[in-house]
Amino acid sequence: MSNMHEIRERIKSIGDIMKITNAMYLISSSKLKKAKKDLAATEPYFNKLLYAMRSILSRAPEEADELTYFDERTHIPEQKRKKALLIITADKGMCGSYNHNVIAAAEKVMEETEMSHLSVMGQVGRMYFQRKARAGKLQLDPHFFYTTQNPNLYRARSIAESLMERFAKGEVDDVYVVYTKMINSMEYEPHVQQLLPLDVTHFVADENDVTKHHEAEFYPTVEAVMQHLIPNFMKGLIYGAMVESFCSEQQARMTAMDSATTSAKDMLAALSLQYNRARQAAITQEISEVCGGSAAMESGG
Amino acid sequence: MAKTFRLELLASDRPFYIGECEHLVYPAHDGLMGILPGHESLVTIVQPGEIKYKVDGEWRYCAISEGFAEVRSDYVLILGDAIELPDEIDAKRAEEAAGRAKELMRQKQSILEYYHTQAALNRAMNRLKISKRHSHEI
Repeated sequence: MSNMHEIRERIKSIGDIMKITNAMYLISSSKLKKAKKDLAATEPYFNKLLYAMRSILSRAPEEADELTYFDERTHIPEQKRKKALLIITADKGMCGSYNHNVIAAAEKVMEETEMSHLSVMGQVGRMYFQRKARAGKLQLDPHFFYTTQNPNLYRARSIAESLMERFAKGEVDDVYVVYTKMINSMEYEPHVQQLLPLDVTHFVADENDVTKHHEAEFYPTVEAVMQHLIPNFMKGLIYGAMVESFCSEQQARMTAMDSATTSAKDMLAALSLQYNRARQAAITQEISEVCGGSAAMESGG
Repeated sequence: MAKTFRLELLASDRPFYIGECEHLVYPAHDGLMGILPGHESLVTIVQPGEIKYKVDGEWRYCAISEGFAEVRSDYVLILGDAIELPDEIDAKRAEEAAGRAKELMRQKQSILEYYHTQAALNRAMNRLKISKRHSHEI
């Protein structure tokens, strides 16, 4: 009897959890719809921004290399370079390996150097790196509170400003952004993009893509244009990364919750079979007990 | 048929206009800049202001907050934070934003905050100006 009771309890609890995962699936699928629309609207801008950066940076005259944001600080050895990472994770878990992948990608970059400064967007990554920060080796910006929900330009602008200021002051030598990129509407993967110091090779897949255009004129001067252009680039890139990440997050959560719901259904089917078997066994046992009893009565009487 | 070049006006939240254009005027850092087909290669800043571009002999107008432009002889790319039609501007909202910014300007602020408010005020004033200029043309 206790077996039947146990199975019934399990069926009930799995059913309850399935309700939650199903609701989360529905929420993330409606959020995904909006995120995909935003992504589709931003993508032309983002792609053209990358294209323009490639084209402008490869046409920039030599003198540009002396500007602040192009300074590669080559005198600092690889191990001693302070790296700043902007890591975009989710605010919640329940999205499969989404957070794990971003964190793993970030940690790979962090291994290359002794000291890294982290600015983490999203609660999950924040919590993870906070625990690690106590162990040393990395520094977490304690005042960096930005959510990854509904990315907007305003947020991107203030993040870009704080990163650029730290680079200009020399607090950090390299700036990266670690985010999740949509490859197509179903697939996504973590991606590490170096932002500063600016170099055209960071924005191309392979060396051959660097198009050597004839030089363009910069009006009024290279410095003035770059001073205005670079914050714009940074802001646009960070905004793009935020939009891509948000979209990937919803996609990941949707897939994870969908498979959770499916496996809950499978478990329910298996359990209800078990339950019916146990019930049948109990009935059979009862009948045989009754039969056995009456047989004993007859033979006895 | 007039000579044309390809124009792409892209805002961060949507592609605004992609197509042929005969003549383009946009606000550069020290005044308006006019582009005709065959212009020399150029990279410039775009200030908050009004862009006008001629398509099929007809001028079209839009408001841009800051951005930058890449000009080539047959192609112009303008990337802006926000590009809007005069009709789309919410004058009331812009007015409120301008009021807010003006009030903040009176407070003591750090330099960074001051720049932020100044930029916000610029954007709001530009929106107001453009929506006013075009509002009578209905």
